[in-house]
Amino acid sequence: MKHAFSLSHISAQILKWTVLLFFLSAALFPLVWLLINSFRSNLELQITSFALPERWLIGNYERALQVASLPRLFFNSIVASFSAVIINVLISSLAGFVLSREVFKGRDTIYTIVTAGVLIPIIAFMVPYFSLITKLGIYDSLSALILVYASVNIPVSMFLITSFMRSIPKELEEAAIIDGCGFVQRFSKIVFPLSQSGLVTAGTFCFIYSWNDFIMAMLLTSGLSARTVQLGIKFFTSQFITDYTSMFAAIIITMIPSVGAYVFLHNRIISGLTAGAVKG
Amino acid sequence: MSSTAKSGKKSSWLLRLLFLSPVLILFAGFFVYPFFFTLYASFTRWRGIGAMQFIGIGNYVKIFADGTFHLALRNNFIWALSHGFVQIPFAALVAMILLREPKGWRFLRTVYFLPNVISTVALTMVWSSLYNVQFGLINEFLVKILGKQTVHFLGNPDIALSAVIFQTVIYIGYFMIILLSAGMNIPKELYEAAQIDGASVVQQERFITLPMLRGTLLTSITLAMAYGVRHFESTYLMTGGGPAYATTTMGIDLFQKMDALRYSEASTVGVLLILFGTVLIVAIRKIFGKSDPMSDMAQ
Repeated sequence: MKHAFSLSHISAQILKWTVLLFFLSAALFPLVWLLINSFRSNLELQITSFALPERWLIGNYERALQVASLPRLFFNSIVASFSAVIINVLISSLAGFVLSREVFKGRDTIYTIVTAGVLIPIIAFMVPYFSLITKLGIYDSLSALILVYASVNIPVSMFLITSFMRSIPKELEEAAIIDGCGFVQRFSKIVFPLSQSGLVTAGTFCFIYSWNDFIMAMLLTSGLSARTVQLGIKFFTSQFITDYTSMFAAIIITMIPSVGAYVFLHNRIISGLTAGAVKG
Repeated sequence: MSSTAKSGKKSSWLLRLLFLSPVLILFAGFFVYPFFFTLYASFTRWRGIGAMQFIGIGNYVKIFADGTFHLALRNNFIWALSHGFVQIPFAALVAMILLREPKGWRFLRTVYFLPNVISTVALTMVWSSLYNVQFGLINEFLVKILGKQTVHFLGNPDIALSAVIFQTVIYIGYFMIILLSAGMNIPKELYEAAQIDGASVVQQERFITLPMLRGTLLTSITLAMAYGVRHFESTYLMTGGGPAYATTTMGIDLFQKMDALRYSEASTVGVLLILFGTVLIVAIRKIFGKSDPMSDMAQ
């Protein structure tokens, strides 16, 4: 810090903080604006878009809960996402075990083809997915979403889980074999438990995808019975019509679980994501 | 590999197959089958019901002559470029600043990532409101503070595409975190040595950080462009591809064709979308040197 007061140092500091604060406000400001306006009346909103509420109205939230069938939406999203994560992680760890710990012809080919699936833009498959789900007779059901979410995430999970399992030392398994462990026990007693953090990372990616999905929910469901939170938000505009501030309250409610989880777990989420994505 | 000493047994072949089969069946059902289905359907006339009627390259000829598809192709290209070459440079810039651990950098890192835990749908709804003509904050700023005219951000064909892309490009959190954690692995000694040799901060970033981050940057650009090509929700919810197809993309085009029961043409757009995404990724890797995104991610 020897040039602490030089002109170039000051301008560099200004530039640096301009960049940092710009992206800080980009990340926070829209959310803060939404939150504040969710407590205002529509009249106040029409007069000025940027002001604190004259009185903090809780009524918008009451109306949001009445109009938007939020409990149903949350229930559907939770069931669809968690089921998809469990199925996806379980089957990917079974296959990942074979592809990482066994040696046989064609192993690397299978791995390459399956993981190359990440390159496919899934929206290109809207026609076959719709046709397949209709043929299976599960259109407009949570089973359709669970099946699609669990399947679409196979390439990512296979990549994360297989590469994690490869890093487990061979010696542990060799010791287990000497102790008389067979194929299934090598998986259930050694590799599966030791892969926990890899499984959590894969599960996190699968959960984020499933929870945030909009396209598949729109494509594969039609009624309220299987409508998820994200799809539900689309209907807010027609449900609330011109009651914008109640709609804002409803949107805020949809954000509470993920933002809440992030506030408490942000360190683990960030380190978990980077540990899986860029293993250091 | 001695861990497979017992793997010669017949029973272990069966077990391997048993362990692999759920993934293989679902992968076949949701990747392999859809791929060939889409490819075949693109050469047929088919409206979703009844048999497919093979017609050769008719759909491709029709779509390449279609002005809407040209707009979609152009817009997909703009999406990909703005994600790869606007979002990533900003993410890298912020990551490089945070690597020097300025005051509150941990807090900033946490906040930058916050929008990434919120769904695209919710963020899109917020931005639709911010852009709104009657009560949107941005128009209020333009009119009341700057004394300008109201701007129909999402209704003006000249601005709509930029307005839709802008609210996705400024969320740099995900790639910033990836670049930041890659940067943290750069040995501190390199910077200390450079400082002793009299290298300025800019020189250190130019000759140490950027070269060391090259692989991660390339991966990030590739991934960001792939995400840009795939983006659907913002356009669908903000403009539906309008006004006058100004913001349409291949994904939107595909969905609208499907909605109009033109399934085989929708499949043709699907094939072209996969082709477009693949060509883009291959081109990036050809231009910037060989680097396998998957193995980069595993480094």
